Amino acid sequence: MGTTRKILTSLLAATTAISLAACSSGSSGGNSAAGGSSPSGSASPSASAVSSESASPSASGDQPAWQKNTSPITFDWYINFSWFNSKWGDDVVAKYVEKKTGVKLNFIVPAGDEKAKMNTMLASGQLPDFVTLQATDEAVKKMINGKMVLPLNELADQYDAYFYKVADPAKLGWFKQADGNVYGYPNASSSPEDYKKYGQSFTSNQTFEVRKDMYEAIGSPDMSTPEGFLNALKLAKEKFPEVEGQPLIPLGLHEFTDNGNYSLEDYLQNFLAIPRQKDGKLVDRRQDPEYLTWLKTLRKANEMGLLAKDIFIDKRPQMEEKIAQGRYFAMLYQRTDFANQNIALYQKDPNKVYIAVNGPANSKGDAPTLAGPGISGWTVTLISKNVKDKERAIAFLSYLISEEGEKDMFLGEKGVTYDTIDGKDQFKPEVIELLNKDRTAFDQKYGASYKYWMLMDTNMNLQWAPPSVEPGKQLEDWTKGKSISMSEFDGLDPSPESKEGIANSNNLRLWGKTLPKLLLAKSDEEFDNIFDKYLKDRKDVEAVDAARQAVYDANMEKLKSMQ
Amino acid sequence: MRRLLFVLGPLYNEGHVKVCNANDEEVPQKVSVHAEAPNPTAASIGGAARRSWLKKLMRQRALQVMALLGIAWMIVFNFIPIYWNVIAFREFDIIQPLSAAPWVGLDHFKEFLTDDSLGYVIRNTLAMSLLKLIIGFPLPIAFALLLNEVRSIRYKKWIQTVSYLPHFLSWVILGGILATWLADVGIINKLLMGLGFIDEPISYLAEPKYFWSIIVASDLWKELGWSAIIYLAAISGVSPELYEAATIDGAGRFQKMWKVTLPCIRGTIAILFILAVSALLNSNFDQILVLKNSLNESKSTVIDVYVYQTGISDGRFSYSAAVGLLKSVIALGLLLGANYVTKKLNDTSLF
Repeated sequence: MGTTRKILTSLLAATTAISLAACSSGSSGGNSAAGGSSPSGSASPSASAVSSESASPSASGDQPAWQKNTSPITFDWYINFSWFNSKWGDDVVAKYVEKKTGVKLNFIVPAGDEKAKMNTMLASGQLPDFVTLQATDEAVKKMINGKMVLPLNELADQYDAYFYKVADPAKLGWFKQADGNVYGYPNASSSPEDYKKYGQSFTSNQTFEVRKDMYEAIGSPDMSTPEGFLNALKLAKEKFPEVEGQPLIPLGLHEFTDNGNYSLEDYLQNFLAIPRQKDGKLVDRRQDPEYLTWLKTLRKANEMGLLAKDIFIDKRPQMEEKIAQGRYFAMLYQRTDFANQNIALYQKDPNKVYIAVNGPANSKGDAPTLAGPGISGWTVTLISKNVKDKERAIAFLSYLISEEGEKDMFLGEKGVTYDTIDGKDQFKPEVIELLNKDRTAFDQKYGASYKYWMLMDTNMNLQWAPPSVEPGKQLEDWTKGKSISMSEFDGLDPSPESKEGIANSNNLRLWGKTLPKLLLAKSDEEFDNIFDKYLKDRKDVEAVDAARQAVYDANMEKLKSMQ
Repeated sequence: MRRLLFVLGPLYNEGHVKVCNANDEEVPQKVSVHAEAPNPTAASIGGAARRSWLKKLMRQRALQVMALLGIAWMIVFNFIPIYWNVIAFREFDIIQPLSAAPWVGLDHFKEFLTDDSLGYVIRNTLAMSLLKLIIGFPLPIAFALLLNEVRSIRYKKWIQTVSYLPHFLSWVILGGILATWLADVGIINKLLMGLGFIDEPISYLAEPKYFWSIIVASDLWKELGWSAIIYLAAISGVSPELYEAATIDGAGRFQKMWKVTLPCIRGTIAILFILAVSALLNSNFDQILVLKNSLNESKSTVIDVYVYQTGISDGRFSYSAAVGLLKSVIALGLLLGANYVTKKLNDTSLF
């Protein structure tokens, strides 16, 4: 469930960043930031590819393979997300790409549980031509170890040298396996190099939000200290005991799962700028005194009646309903997860929306270190060893990650969905209008704006993206400059079937049971006892830590070699 | 038993079916489902017998095909998996063939039996199952008996339909509905506060102490009407002559219910009881998964949920298989035990 949410979130992040475009104000901060970093095509590692229209190189080896053969072919493309319901259809982009490359796609999507579907395919040994799944998914390792997918570098050597021109070497280096091969290419990935270039416009999903009207009514207090935080929740509850006849929920969080609560772990720890490592050694952020101070603050909040029972029980649908009703005063909730609800609130009353304010901070008042985009990206796409046509497959993959392919997937067909307006390639006004009004209709008609996001490059797309609009813009802007790369901490958890993995899962579940008890503890002493018991009950901590440290060291090694 | 009958149905078409085993003096009545009379001469000649058997088979081909499909289903989903239970003793990796999986003996079983959470997981499972057995088993019988006494056919049909309805909703949907009803601002609190039973709204799903009651009550609400069907079917098979005789003897309605209907469906009750006992270690996974949350976790984690968390979510199929196998072995023991007891008490049994 946790991963599903993260996936959904990332997708939402990607789509809303793109879809919440302004029609009114032209000179917004987001726009200028994006405009300023708009690559000319020479500097960006990924955009260094030959620009599409002029891609008629002299050497035949440099010619993109996708241009050589454009006879019709249909690839089966498995997307490991049950919510993905797009069809390769009659939209402008699909038709345009089909005309250009001859490739048609047939998407295969799990009907229910992704894991079950993936495991069935793994067990049967049969994979569709392309497979797209979360970069950190366990199944990626399984497919590679089971030799069920083809190395992209070997395919490129054999059929399509153009791949190396368009692929980002940093990303290839990151995904290189022990055998020296690269099996998957990521989407929405940002290398350290990208950070240098676009870092200032990178956003995070992690925000602390308050309801604007209530926050202002209680005098816009500082909520970054424990005292200020508790006081603000108290004031809000006293002043607004009810929202439309139902009790106010002073603080909203992501849902509690078997393994704990996302809002109260990395999320809160990032707000407190708690380091993940000291001198190259991973540290347990849960034992950081700053973190425990804040958990105790929340315990105090519960004692004061400021934590509603709802937050322990509600699942995402209930939360979304309550957000739409404006029943939370404050929230530690990913901004794109309630983007739609916030837009609905905004349309009813621009004053009743949720806005980002400075949230919990450590005792030194450091700025938060929020999770920005990482080099692992969101998903990876792999090519199966049973692929219909190896040459066409790697050719199509190269096309998709080339600037031309990215542009086709984002902007669509020139003259139909976009044009050069004021010297900048951007969507036509009627296209933007539909995009902002009705995403579903937009997808059906145009299919642009990364309806097909499997290999989207969220940095390259900044040059074409329309500026964001309120109410999302305020939340988004708040995270700018506070988002850092955490690539080196990606995929640290040991494989769940290994000895360390089993211990790690057990420890996580133990934490999942402990966390609510900590918050519900009657006193700080009880809190300490419960926490000590948790520390004691964990098993094989050293082994798990060692496994994580090993992956971390390897990650650092890879990142260093990129610089 | 019913399911077995269903599969064997077409060939099990004639013979002595006791109308009622309540009374030992009761004369077994010969019932012929198909109008066909047995051919005594054909039995003496082998070839002719086979021919007649084939003829019979041909005549019933539509029914036989249905039965064969059922058998095929059972082979694929019930018999082949029996062989695959072997992975409980090995360390199976789904991308490797079975032969590549090393044997680990009873390691998975040991891990399960030494798990710290085993105690409360089993306590929750057994507590909820026993509550369901004690409360949820007799009520459908009572419901069927009462429903049988309703005179107005239309009213009876109406009640039956209404009581079936929740059965057709999945727990995922019902879970959402229940969560709303049981919330602090939900209908249950409004009702109880309006009637003056409670002063403060209670968040029912947040209190572990209410969890078992919620599970048993919601299960009853969902399945009461549906479970009564089988008893209604059994009741409709009771010979009207018995009631007539009882009426002549001066029995009242309750006496007839108690002394005629109930003894006549005793066999059905016994068989369903045996099956219910063997399912003691099962809990309604869907129901519990949708209603469980971080606050009631101490009362809501059952074996199935535990297996889901530790086994399926982490892709540890061997471990899940070991727990499943252990559960099946215990269930078999319970089944045989219940079967033995009812056989002694009641002379009714599965086999």
